[in-house]
Order: sequence, then C-alpha cells, then structure tokens
Amino acid sequence: MAHLCQLALSHWLSYGLVLSFTCLSFYGLMSFGGASPDINLLSDSYFYELLGFTLKQSLLSALLSVALAIPVARALFYCPKLPAKRWFLAFCLLCFVTPTLIVITGMVALLGRSGLLTPLLNQLTENDWNLYGLEGILLAHIFLNTPLAIRSIWLQLSAIPETSWRLAAQLKLSPWQRFKTVEWPVLRQSSAVISGFIFVLCFNSFAVVLALGGGPSSTTLEVAIYQALKYDFNIGEALTLAWSQLLIAGTLYAVMTRFGTLSWQSVDNGNPHSPPQPSRQKANIFKLIYLLSWVLLLLPYIALLPGLLDYTPRWQDLSMITRPAVISLGLAFVAAMMAMGIAYLLLQPIRTAALQQKEQQQFWLETVATHTLITPAMVLSVGLFVFLLPKVDLDRYGIIAVVILNTLLLVPFAIQKLKPRVLQFDQQYDRLVRSLKLNNRHRWRLLWPFIKPVWLSTFGLVFVLGLGDVAIFSIFGNTEWTTLPWLIYGFAGSYQLAEASAASFLLLLICALILFLLERTQTRNTVRVEHS
Amino acid sequence: MMKKLFTGLLLSSATTLHAADLTIYTYDSFVSEWGPGPKLETAFEQECQCDIEFIAVEDGVSILNRARIEQARTKADVLLGLDNSLTEITREAKLTQPHNISLDPISAHLNWQDDTFVPFDYGYFSFIYDSEKIQQPATSLKALIESEASVIYQDPRTSTPGQGLMLWVKAVYGDEAPLAWKQLASHTVTVTKGWWEAYSMFLKGDADYVLSYNTSPAYHQVAEQNSQYKAARFSEGHIVQTEVAAISAYAQNPALAQQFLTFLISPKAQSIIPVTNWMLPVIDDVPLPEAFDSLIKPETIGFTAEQIAKQRQQWIREWRTSAN
Repeated sequence: MAHLCQLALSHWLSYGLVLSFTCLSFYGLMSFGGASPDINLLSDSYFYELLGFTLKQSLLSALLSVALAIPVARALFYCPKLPAKRWFLAFCLLCFVTPTLIVITGMVALLGRSGLLTPLLNQLTENDWNLYGLEGILLAHIFLNTPLAIRSIWLQLSAIPETSWRLAAQLKLSPWQRFKTVEWPVLRQSSAVISGFIFVLCFNSFAVVLALGGGPSSTTLEVAIYQALKYDFNIGEALTLAWSQLLIAGTLYAVMTRFGTLSWQSVDNGNPHSPPQPSRQKANIFKLIYLLSWVLLLLPYIALLPGLLDYTPRWQDLSMITRPAVISLGLAFVAAMMAMGIAYLLLQPIRTAALQQKEQQQFWLETVATHTLITPAMVLSVGLFVFLLPKVDLDRYGIIAVVILNTLLLVPFAIQKLKPRVLQFDQQYDRLVRSLKLNNRHRWRLLWPFIKPVWLSTFGLVFVLGLGDVAIFSIFGNTEWTTLPWLIYGFAGSYQLAEASAASFLLLLICALILFLLERTQTRNTVRVEHS
Repeated sequence: MMKKLFTGLLLSSATTLHAADLTIYTYDSFVSEWGPGPKLETAFEQECQCDIEFIAVEDGVSILNRARIEQARTKADVLLGLDNSLTEITREAKLTQPHNISLDPISAHLNWQDDTFVPFDYGYFSFIYDSEKIQQPATSLKALIESEASVIYQDPRTSTPGQGLMLWVKAVYGDEAPLAWKQLASHTVTVTKGWWEAYSMFLKGDADYVLSYNTSPAYHQVAEQNSQYKAARFSEGHIVQTEVAAISAYAQNPALAQQFLTFLISPKAQSIIPVTNWMLPVIDDVPLPEAFDSLIKPETIGFTAEQIAKQRQQWIREWRTSAN
C-alpha cells in the first residue's frame, strides 16, 4: 500500500513539476520591476488586428491540413500493401519536425519568384502567382502539419476493431452507410483532436508567418510578444499578450478537442487489420492520392538540392559541425527521455479519471498536463531567465535550463501521442488486470508490449523535435554548447548561406535517420507481436 | 546511461569555464569561429598578459536586456556590441560608466564625441542589388520607393536593419512617411523577421533589392570572389549603424576595461574587425582588402539616439498601420 502511495505521489509530483516552471516564469516576469499586465493594450486596435489575423491563419491552416490529410489517411488504411508505406509514414514525421529555416528556404526555392514550380503556376494563374501573403503562410503550415494529421488519422482508423467491419459486412451496409456508422465517428474524433493541436501550433507560428506573410498585416500574437519582451523590454505588455494567448488559444483548443466523443475507443484485438477491400476503381484512386502526396511532400526538399551545389565541402567544416551535432543529439536525447518519463507519470491520473469516467476531472488533468503547448514559449523562457539569472550562474548551468525547458515543451507532444494507446489498453485489459490482482511490475509487463510501438515512434518524434530547438537555446545556451541548429543560424547570419544549407541538410539527414531507424524497430516489433 | 552522458557533458563544460580578469558581454556571431572574437582575444591577451572571457548572448539588444536584469550582480566589465540606437536607453538605465579614454584615433568624419560609448565599427544600411540583372539601379530612396522594383526588407519590430529603414524613411519623408510606406508596400515582396531570411530570399532571386549593409558586397568579393552584388548609393544619404562598446557601471576591473576599449580602436584590432565582422573600421588608414575600396561611401542622415529613444514606438506604429 505504501508503495502504491509513493507511486501516486510521483504522479502528482509530475503535475507540480510542469506547473511550477510555468508559475516561476510568470512570477519571474511579474516580480521584475513590479510589472503588472498593461491593460491599455486591450483598447488598441492593433491588438485586435493581430488577434484576428492569428485566429484566421491558424484556423484555416488547421482545417485545410486536416481536410487534406483525411483522403491520404484513408488511402493508407484501405490499401495496406502500398509500396514504401512504412517509409511514407516515417517521412510524415520528418516533414512535421523540419526546422522552419529549412521550410522557408524550401518554399521559396519551390514557389518563390524564381522557384522551380513558379513558371508552371504562372501559366496556370495567368501570371498572377504570388507565394507571399496568406497563401504562403497556409502552404508552409500545410506542408508542416498535414503529414502529422495523416499519421494520426491513419492510426485511429487502424484502431477500428475488426468486429465493426465484420458487423458492417453482415448487416450488408452500403459503402456510404458503412462510412457513416463505422468510419465517420472515428474520423470526426481524430480530426477534431488533431485540428485543435495544429491550430495551437499555427497560433504560435512566428518566423514562417513573417517571412512568407508579405507585410505587417500578416502578424501573429507571438510577434507582438517577441517585440514586447525583446525590443521594448515592456514586461507589462508582454504579460497582457501572454494571458490573452493562454485564454484564447487555450479555450479554442479545449473546444476543438472536446468536439469529438470517445466512441472510437472500443476493443482492439490486436490482429492485423483487414479493412474491407475497396473496389478496383477506388483502389486506383487511393493509389493516385498516395503517389501525389509523396510527390507534393518531397518537392520542397528536392527544391533545396540545387542550393547545395553552391557548397564546396571543406575539411574544417566537418570538424566545425561534428561537435555541435553530438551536443545536439545528447541534449535532445536527454530532453526526449525526460519528456517521455514525465508524460507517462502525467498520464496515470488521466487513466484513472478515464476509467472512472470522470470526464470533468480528466479534462482538467489533460489541460494542466499539456498547458505548455499553449503557453508562449518566449514568455516561459524569458520569465525563467529573469527568475534564474540572479540566483544561478547561467553561463555555467544554463544548459540544464535548455534541457528542462525543452523537456517541458516536448511533454504535450508525448502526451498527445501516448494517451490514446494507453487509454486503449485500459479499456481492453483493465478489468482483466484488476481481476487477476496483478502487481505493478506485472501490469507494466503487460502494458509495455502493448504501447511499445507507439512509445518508440513518440520518442522518435519528441527526440527530433528537440533536435530542432533554437528559441530556448538562444536565451540559455552559450558558445561552449553550440548546437547544430544554432550553428546553422550562425552560418546564415554571417553570409555563409551555402554552409547554412549544407548544415541544414545534415540536420535533416540526422532527423531522417533517427526516424527511419525507430520506424524500423517499430514495424519489426509489430510484426513480432502479430506473429506470436 | 542517460545520467552518465549528462554528468559527462556537465563536467566537460565546467572545466572550460573559469573566472577571467576581464569579462565581456557580446553577441553570438562576434565570438563565432569566423567572427572577430577569437582573434581579438589572442591579440589582447598578448598585450595585457591577462585572461579575458567573452560571454555571448543572441544579439545586441539581448546584451542590454541581460545587463538590465542583472543590474549590480552582472559579471560584465565591458558591454560590446550595442548599437547607436540603443546607447541612449542604456545610458538612461545607468548601466554604464564614462570610458575616460582618448577618442583621438576615431576618424574625424564620424564626428564621435561620446564620453560613455566607444565605436568599434560601422556600416550604412543599403539596398543590395544584382548588377547582372539591374544595370541602372535606383539613385535615391525616393526613386526606389516610387519605382516598381521588388523589395525585401526586415521587420522593424524584430530586426536592426528593419529599424534602420524605418529611420531612413522617416528622415527622408518626415510627415509624408505613411504615404511612402504605402507606396513601398505595393512592390514589397515580403518583410522578414531577421536579416538572413531576407538576404537568402534575395540570393534565391525573389527580389530586385534587399535591405542590408553597404559592406555586404565586400563579403561576396573577398570570400566568394563574386562581384555581381552591389549596394545602391542613395542621394539623400544613408542611415549609419555604429556598433559600440562601453564599460559596465558595475565593472570589477575598470582599468583593464579601459585598456580593452583603447585596444579596440587600435590599428591592430581595427584591421581584424572589418574582415571578420564585415563592417567598416572606425579609424583611418587601416589596410583592407581591395574589395573595401569599391564600396559606396554615402552621406549620412538620421536622428540622434535621444530622438530615436523618444520616437521609436510612435514610428513603429506608423509603419505597421501604413505599410499594408
């Protein structure tokens, strides 16, 4: 019993931990010079223009990304034997984690004024094609987020139990009825959750919005926060903006993710899925969709290749890059491991609440557990910086803050991906586990094989996400610890654009390698589970 | 395994850090391997027989912000890498002290008489164009703004060159600035967060002109033997960005700090800075690569640091409502 209490304690401590850093950062900002939120800002029309544009672009990005993802996810689901499907799924993760620096360059190289595809687009639009503006922002956001939505919706479709399909067949449902009763509830739920998630990510978008937005009318709240904190050092204004963001992004996220019900979470027997065979014509359409998505997702990367030709490899560059690459890998690995651990602890009370069907409680627990997703990262890091600087030698220990803050920002991603699988386990096995009176160790031994594939792919995701950090490093890092992304920004900031694109390419290769390796172990594992 | 890795990493950093005789806050690219930092460090340490340490933050504004947060607890003896738009705010925040060194070596045309801030390099904000594409570049800011040539510049809310253009337009147009912004917006490709996004878009061929420095062509000539990129000289004059250093109000070692500032404007340091930081030297007769001779040498216009500190917010508001 005492052991159980200790366990429960560690779960609640994890909540205390994630909350305390956010509180400390707000405290740090508010205590500095006794700043309090500046409410004058709320009567400035600029604030509402910002907000309006932020909402517009993030809602559109989320809806378009999901709308485009659904047909692709269905194609993947209905045609399980598509060639290179495993690679495609890993590639989807890669697109999602591609650093904005590379996305911007890729988009410009592909669709900018001298872009590879621009002559074609000019013909189609009678010379009216212009990347810059809302369309550019949406294109970049769609490129970044649709792949994640594809994966996530495909996973949920795959979790539809065999029995549902069999039942639909026995009842002789027409394809449309089958779609409505079997597929639609799943699609609705997963699309709602993933669009809420993408909405928040785009709400916080910054460099992409400015670079491709075309002018000051394309500005997000995040830019205002950056300006207030960095250039004006106006903490009052930054606080008002941060609270607005928490309130607005938080509420909308909650509404969007609550839109879906939990109907899809029924028993999954773990057998290989055999969805209904699509007709030949439909199968061909699915194959076409699949092929098209490969091409479209690859294009921005292909457009980067000509830029690499400007670069002549030099021996000293290699030595300059090795150390930052190793440091990046080390830091991201530690942050990802910690994020996975904390996410697992945070999930425990959520599991209990879900099992007891305490929806309210579950909702609040999830809100707290994932709140760093909607907290402006700039506020979090600057606030903590202000708080820690007088107390800790940050030139020596700042790197610990880099790891911790990265961990905190990765936790919501880990939770978002792990949660469905863990809850699914409970739905399926909780009664059994309890009736067998299994102890924690045995429970874990049951749970682990069940979640392992998802755990590994989630780990891969947060690992490579952590690899791309520059925002936090720019505040807490120092030259002793230069990471690969920071080195890239260093190159780019001092005319060495060819070196920057070469180093970006290397970063991308490292990310790809990690994701593909993990994807391989994951498929091997699933195969083993399926065969045993 | 994780723990081991982490402690390993920690130890490796602890051994490289030690208390130095002189601590200098600067920005990151200044101390990068290709920046002036490492060479200046070697040269000065030889001269003073002491140990100096650079602590690098993201950029010039971050130096000010850090000093502002730390106040008396700061480790900094010298703040290096603020620019002329920040000097007044820094002075008002009482973060610096008079340098008490002779400014005689400073070139007369810079007309520098500040008892607190010592300039170490400067450059003119300029529009860069590709001379293979444009044979007759704009000769004035007005001509550029009234033309239809595509332009990329940086956001004055997030970048120093962007703020430079804001001052430039204000200096040339005065109360007519909103109209000028509107006109410029009609042929602006995009406005980016920072310098490199704009510059790399320009190199990819996305605009006829990009806002940068008059020294940018020197980089292409020296490092790439490429002379196709040129800066357009505008008849109204250009806004100058002067990078400065100052002694912290809380310096542990003000005498050594003074010695460092004197070193910074010595021929030795001044010959290192231009070819590593890609800016112009602040003293006369510095031997420089030929590429520097062909750079444009425009007139200067602009505002005093006091005016900038007072009006910046208002001007940014003007920009963001009219540049649409």
